[in-house]
Amino acid sequence: MIGPTGSGKTTIMKLIYMDLYPDSGKIVILGTNVAKLKRRKIPFLRRRIGMIFQDYHLLNDRNLFENVAIPLHIIGIPRNEVEERVYRILEEVGLTNKEKQYPEELSGGEQQRACIARALIKDPEIILADEPTGNLDPIASFELVNLLEQINREGTAILMASHNYNLIKGRGHPIIEMRDGKLRNG
Amino acid sequence: MDKLAFLISEGVRNLWRHKLTAITAIFSVFITLFLIGSLFVITQNSHYLIEYLRTKYKIEVFFKAGVTNEQARKIMGVIKEIPGVRSTTLITKEDALRIFKDQFGEDIVAILGYNPLPASCVVNINRKQPDSVDIRPLISKIKSLDGVDQVNYQGRLIRRIENFYQKIVRGVSIAVIIILLLTIIIIANTIKLTIHAKQDLIKILKLLGATNLFIKIPFLLEAIFQGLIGAGLALVALVGVIHAGNTYLEKLFHMRIQYDPVVGAIMVGFAILIAFLTGYRTVTKYLA
Repeated sequence: MIGPTGSGKTTIMKLIYMDLYPDSGKIVILGTNVAKLKRRKIPFLRRRIGMIFQDYHLLNDRNLFENVAIPLHIIGIPRNEVEERVYRILEEVGLTNKEKQYPEELSGGEQQRACIARALIKDPEIILADEPTGNLDPIASFELVNLLEQINREGTAILMASHNYNLIKGRGHPIIEMRDGKLRNG
Repeated sequence: MDKLAFLISEGVRNLWRHKLTAITAIFSVFITLFLIGSLFVITQNSHYLIEYLRTKYKIEVFFKAGVTNEQARKIMGVIKEIPGVRSTTLITKEDALRIFKDQFGEDIVAILGYNPLPASCVVNINRKQPDSVDIRPLISKIKSLDGVDQVNYQGRLIRRIENFYQKIVRGVSIAVIIILLLTIIIIANTIKLTIHAKQDLIKILKLLGATNLFIKIPFLLEAIFQGLIGAGLALVALVGVIHAGNTYLEKLFHMRIQYDPVVGAIMVGFAILIAFLTGYRTVTKYLA
């Protein structure tokens, strides 16, 4: 999903993961009409969605391992399985041997990879990536998009919002454009 | 079970993760509860002290010269039934003679040819009385009895002691209420601040699909631990001060500061309750 800054891409994302409620219209996510979803059921819908944010939203008082493991603790995965899955996912996103480091000790690219690992670890049905390259340099951005493509190829749907058209064009993925508060095919 | 174990360990780890805020919260709980505990101990000990002093209140009732020992015993039975009287001890005419001889070394019967000393009795008042003891009505009742000649008592001293005790009780009660309110405000605000500083954590956990209960439990445990540690330290400090004080008091005045373990239980329970309620209210507010 492309569109200039302030066009409403983040609003669309927030509507999907129910951080905002629509004033009108209908949003169906993973077969659920969010308007009919009871508030106490929202956490269970969010568990099926992986989220990646521009400013990472990592917890600075926890190391990489603990940050990535949180979604599994929320679901209630047994401790020994948590360990196994965290190490596997960290390897997948290229953060092996960094599990003891704290977010501030990681580069921007590494923090965003940590964010991807956290989104991916719970095997989500869809990943929402809101300007994931917004704080990264061009090389790190390129690598990150490659990583997301790889995840997509392995079977996870990804909705990525970006204002950087050059980064995503020519990759063969459907592009939708957000402009003046309206979505249209790009 | 894994989830519960994780939540408990999070509550404990949060104390370490947020050392500064935890120390601030623990310190404020410690200071306020130490003050409250001290006031409790002061109240309790002033109560013990007044009870002890009341045992020393001495009322001597002298019977008229013609009253025989048997009649004196009957009057004493009436005195014993007056509310506020704990016990009575009869001093017969013969006892009085012996006491006189012990104290003055003179055999008055040998001098006068008869025993002029009247029978008397010592009245002890009930020491366990909730309020101050007003001894005057008791004296009036005794004086009005037939056969009673004279009543001696330490009226002014008793009034002074009782007035002083009343002042202590009133002063400490006011201080306890003020400190109690301050304690609630301080503990509540400290815990509010520690949670306020973690708004981001709450938001992120919500976005990751955590239920409200999952978010609340570690915060509540953290608040309870803070209350528990603060109250525990206050208790240890209080007992330490009492022990140290007793070492000197016993040497100098042969007195001991009494300490009731219930005070400790109340302190800990109070801290946990305040911490829990504040924690619950604040987290709920940020979750809304």
